[in-house]
Amino acid sequence: MSLEQFKNRNVGTQAYKMIESEPTPPTGMGRFERVVKRTFKGELFVGLGVTMREMINALFKGEMHTIKYPMEKLPISPRYRAIHDMLRLLESGHYRCIGCGLCEKICISDCIRMDTRYDENQRKEVTEYTINFGRCIFCGYCAEVCPELAIVHGGRYETASEQRASFSLFEDMLTPIDALKQQKEFDGFGAVTPNADNAIKKTPLAY
Amino acid sequence: MSNEITIKIDGIEYKTQEGEYILNAARANDIFIPAICYLTRCSPTLACRICLVEADGKRVYACNAKAKDGMEIVTSTEEILEERRAIMEVYDVNHPLQCGVCDQSGECELQNYTLEMGVDSQSYMIPDTKRETINWSSVLHYDAALCIVCERCTTVCKDMIGDAAIKTGPRGGASLDKSMKETMPKDAYAMWNKLQKSVIVPSNGTDETNCSDCGECIAVCPVGALVSRDFVYTTNAWELKRIPATCAHCSSGCQIYYETKPTSIEDTTEKIYRVTNEWNYVSLCGAGRFGYDFENRVEGKNPEAFERAVEALKKADTIRFNSVITNEEALMLQTLKEKLGLKLVNPDAYAFQNFLREYGKPAGKLLYGSDFKEVMKTDFVVSVGAALRSDNPNARYAFNNIQKMNKGAGLYFHPVGDNLVPTFGKSVECVAHKPGLEEAALYLVLDLFADKERLPEEIVSYLDSFHSKGTKIIKEKVMEDVTETVVDKETGESKEVTKKVPRMVEKEIEVDQNALLDLLGADANFPETFEKMMKKKESFSMIIGEDLYFHPKSENLAKLVALIEKACDMKVAMIPPKTNSLGVALICDLDESAEGYTVGYNEAGDFRLDALGEGDLDMPAMNQQEGTLTTMNKRVTPTNAALEYHGYELNDLMRALKFGRHLTVDWTPLLASRKGYQEALFDELPNGYSNSGEEQRGYALKNPGKRASNAVPEKFDESIALEGEIAYRCNPQRQFNDFTDKAHQIFESFSLYASKSKAEALGERVEIDFDGETLICDVVADERMEGDIVKIPDFKSAKDIYTLFGRDRYKNVTIRKV
Amino acid sequence: MEIVNVAVLPEVTSAGVIIKAIIILAIISAIAGFGTYLERKVLAFMQRRLGPMHVGPYGLLQIAADGIKLFTKEDIVPQNANKLIFKIAPTITAATAFIALAAVPVFPDFTIPEWIPLLGGVFVPSIAADINIGILFILGMMAAGLYGPLLAGMAQANKWGIIGSARTAIQFLSYEVVTGLSILAPIMLVGSLSLVDFNNYQSGGFGSWMMWQQPVAFILFLIAGFAETNRTPFDLLEHEAEIVSGYATEYSGMRWGMFFIGEYANMITVSVLAAVVFMGGYNDLGFVAGWLIVVLKIAFVFFLMLWVRASWPHIRPDQLMWLCWKVLMPIAVINVVITGFVMMV
Repeated sequence: MSLEQFKNRNVGTQAYKMIESEPTPPTGMGRFERVVKRTFKGELFVGLGVTMREMINALFKGEMHTIKYPMEKLPISPRYRAIHDMLRLLESGHYRCIGCGLCEKICISDCIRMDTRYDENQRKEVTEYTINFGRCIFCGYCAEVCPELAIVHGGRYETASEQRASFSLFEDMLTPIDALKQQKEFDGFGAVTPNADNAIKKTPLAY
Repeated sequence: MSNEITIKIDGIEYKTQEGEYILNAARANDIFIPAICYLTRCSPTLACRICLVEADGKRVYACNAKAKDGMEIVTSTEEILEERRAIMEVYDVNHPLQCGVCDQSGECELQNYTLEMGVDSQSYMIPDTKRETINWSSVLHYDAALCIVCERCTTVCKDMIGDAAIKTGPRGGASLDKSMKETMPKDAYAMWNKLQKSVIVPSNGTDETNCSDCGECIAVCPVGALVSRDFVYTTNAWELKRIPATCAHCSSGCQIYYETKPTSIEDTTEKIYRVTNEWNYVSLCGAGRFGYDFENRVEGKNPEAFERAVEALKKADTIRFNSVITNEEALMLQTLKEKLGLKLVNPDAYAFQNFLREYGKPAGKLLYGSDFKEVMKTDFVVSVGAALRSDNPNARYAFNNIQKMNKGAGLYFHPVGDNLVPTFGKSVECVAHKPGLEEAALYLVLDLFADKERLPEEIVSYLDSFHSKGTKIIKEKVMEDVTETVVDKETGESKEVTKKVPRMVEKEIEVDQNALLDLLGADANFPETFEKMMKKKESFSMIIGEDLYFHPKSENLAKLVALIEKACDMKVAMIPPKTNSLGVALICDLDESAEGYTVGYNEAGDFRLDALGEGDLDMPAMNQQEGTLTTMNKRVTPTNAALEYHGYELNDLMRALKFGRHLTVDWTPLLASRKGYQEALFDELPNGYSNSGEEQRGYALKNPGKRASNAVPEKFDESIALEGEIAYRCNPQRQFNDFTDKAHQIFESFSLYASKSKAEALGERVEIDFDGETLICDVVADERMEGDIVKIPDFKSAKDIYTLFGRDRYKNVTIRKV
Repeated sequence: MEIVNVAVLPEVTSAGVIIKAIIILAIISAIAGFGTYLERKVLAFMQRRLGPMHVGPYGLLQIAADGIKLFTKEDIVPQNANKLIFKIAPTITAATAFIALAAVPVFPDFTIPEWIPLLGGVFVPSIAADINIGILFILGMMAAGLYGPLLAGMAQANKWGIIGSARTAIQFLSYEVVTGLSILAPIMLVGSLSLVDFNNYQSGGFGSWMMWQQPVAFILFLIAGFAETNRTPFDLLEHEAEIVSGYATEYSGMRWGMFFIGEYANMITVSVLAAVVFMGGYNDLGFVAGWLIVVLKIAFVFFLMLWVRASWPHIRPDQLMWLCWKVLMPIAVINVVITGFVMMV
């Protein structure tokens, strides 16, 4: 479905259908006639038919709507903004975060903190990273601004816990190293758009 | 000064001074002209060429072109914009794109100007060269890959600091395609051509800089190429909270920003990550930039210790303190003296106070007449009695800056030889006289510079007594006519030709001989050199150092200084010995010696109040308290608390004694009771610089005049000159006091400092005998020192160096190997 | 269930009647509870939901869980309530509902085996009180049931309760008339008030069902039955969207549970009446046994109530009265008159 019809907020031009409602008859007899007409029209049975049909659909055609939530879960959109994940590089397994601090800067609820240091390989190393989920409003700016697509929104929307701290440290959010193969590339908020290659200009390189 | 002129920038008229650079004129009037390589107070480098403007229809560089009356300047035309954009594109060629991990990200001028010029695509390319990251010294970290070779670091190091420790060196990159010259804008091409050939290297040819580690190059670096080793990758610029303050290490009182942030995620107490400055208008030294973590971390208040402190103050006879305190604290101590009748002992400020008083009598004013800002504008500077390299960095910067920027000259009188000062400029003459002969030096200054008509007659005749007629053999070039017979080969004719041929002739001439010069050990050619130095010089200044205050005949010296100021049209500025010595000298009535029960404030005593965390009751350090400092530029400048302090302050003690105010800063307006100070509320004191570089910090001290006495200086006493083994009380560079020493990035140890040859002779460890009292310390060779005098630092109050040296700064000692 | 000749029946002892009463109480209470489960399930299915699923297999033990909940809930009596009446009211609802069931035949007769001590050999009749005016008794008791909601609503000192009471009075009283008039025509045809006679009247197979002879009466009876049992679309007594919970607003725990059981017991009573009076009773239908066919009929009527609840909106009180007095009652009267004429002719 294209987004066009949602972007058109000019209600009057859309194909809405007005329901015709006849005026109430002025005379008592007229009203009585209307009652009789409606009574014998059998509309009430249409209602009964609808519910019966739905029951049959639900019971025998597998069109039950209910999901038994804790046991079954609905798939969520990649754009859903749940608890953050920190991704790793697929080849090396090293975490992607370079400690640039842009997420920290852009965070509108000021809940991201990181500690960095100059490591032995003359690189910037993130020694600790934390998000205060008591404050986080899951706006997704951090994922959008991240130049490395290191911090993304994961699918963990069940954020009840005995302690807030259960989510907030680097290791809690980082893809476990043994689960690296299952790590999925994020295509939600802030991810590279499909036509990104066409949208940027190439930098000339001498080699 | 110079005349006011009117220029037109983008069609609007502005007033400026004649001879001002267009860029500075624009900046002073809040007009933006992009510029990367230019530093106010330093010479234009012309490396970036981005400050291109059109003046009267001609393209000029705003940092380099002087404004003329009626000049019409256009800051941006289409052509200029194209040029600037090309320049920024070139800067971006091969510049690493990992802004995320760059320390400068967020305050990077390359980022800013790239955005400003709207660079959204790249037209140029060249193969990259591998450039290594290197640590130049214990504090300097240079990432050549990030360097855009704007040369601000080399410029500031040469023109302001004087070390000239770094220079541009070869990069070894591919050379530009010559065809580019036709196709790209010409300034961008020229800039690129230079950029592609150079990187910054230490100028001594090694991988390590041999400098004073002031870190000013870090401050001026527009990109992340130069960063302090301690700071690198620890935080991003935008996370830091900037707290404007006044540096508390020496008497310069430089304006600084403490930049703080919580220590880590676990530990949320604020920590100072670095110190920055308005580098266009103030230059810091290594102590100011790196010696910031001297705070006194106190967990909480200790009421028992507080009670004991109140009792101690009640029964105290003497308070011993040093000058690393604020004006407010000094006033509190003075209040204690007045109310409780105690004695106030502060050796450094006491000597300075006496000197100022003796100077004030004949000079007819409270304070020295000028300051270092004024000194910096002169073109001939004389320094007497100051160890320029270590006593006060800003005095040294001023001395150096005069040589570099004003085509100036300098005379440096000091007994301890120094090989850095002569490198400040070609017209710097050093006179290493014997300690004790400072009087003679001042008489020489009188002789050289004074308008004899304004001198008292006895002085004129006294000065004349040193002059004698002597003869001197000089070699002179004489042109002689020589006639030769030349045979023309073609015609065979011989012809006589007369030629002029130079010939050296020895000649005896009559010269004026000055016995003072001989006495001071000046160079034999001094008169000629001096004559050259004096050429085209218009304004003169003199820097007075600590040696004079601690001189046995300091009273006479003070009179001489007053006389020089009067008779020579010299701008005189003095260097207060310690941080707030000037403030203490003006606020407190000091006593010479301690007696009875002594309370020490940051000093030894029977009860010790201490901001170093070693005493009986903790006090806040300078970066933990509000207050004002009196700087050597005769300003009262505010400083702010950068870090939390949980303990008691001096004001709490005052309140317990019923003399206190609600807050420490409530004492600030009370300073008005002391001469020179104003009734100003602390919260209304500004602390910054205007766009034109005008210092808007606190207020300037008043210098009230009074009736001048007609005291005539005495004749000098040659006999007090010291001979033999001499120790000089002088700190190494970057060390000023206990607080500097506490900072983790200041490594200079408490040792005996000596010139290389002397250090070799002394060995590794020595015992120094001060007439019975001894001090044992290591020997450190200082490559910049010359001669046999050794330096003993006084920055550790625990070593009680002031007592060892007594009233003098030079002392005959016996040094034994241990 | 067989047609039993009264003459050969063993003597009906008071012990047998008491046992029967206890059995009816137990079974109907259980069925009423099960009815709530069925209602939730059917409504859920019709909305393509699952309904209760987690307590027991397919949520079957939900009734037990609800029972435990109702029994263990705190019994709250409002401060300003008339405490005696407040406490009695639910009992009236439940009691009248069960008393009405006394005249309804439930399960065949049986004799308790001899080996069981104490009660051995006692004969338990199918009908607790086999009176010959069964229908009248049932209708009477159900009408008396109006006192439950009426008193409950008035006793609890709550405005919603008062409104609920008022609606109870108008709705139950009004529709009692329609019920009576609608069922009068079949009574005229059968000439008896005994449910057994009704059953026997319709023993001629599918075609002999009363609903074919009296379709108007059947429809009127169903509509009135919905109103009598306070079911959608006539659930105005405790309509949540308008009056919170009507007469039951202040009730909680088991007191509220008794209203609930009473309502479901009434639903069963109405279902049984509809099945016996109009839908051929417990006569065998072809090869299908009579007892099974009557259970199916009762179940269908019960299901119809749920189905209607799932499908239809409810009406306004004024529409309710309008329908009763201006439409249903005249039709019922006309139906009686026509029936009379037909019988005369």
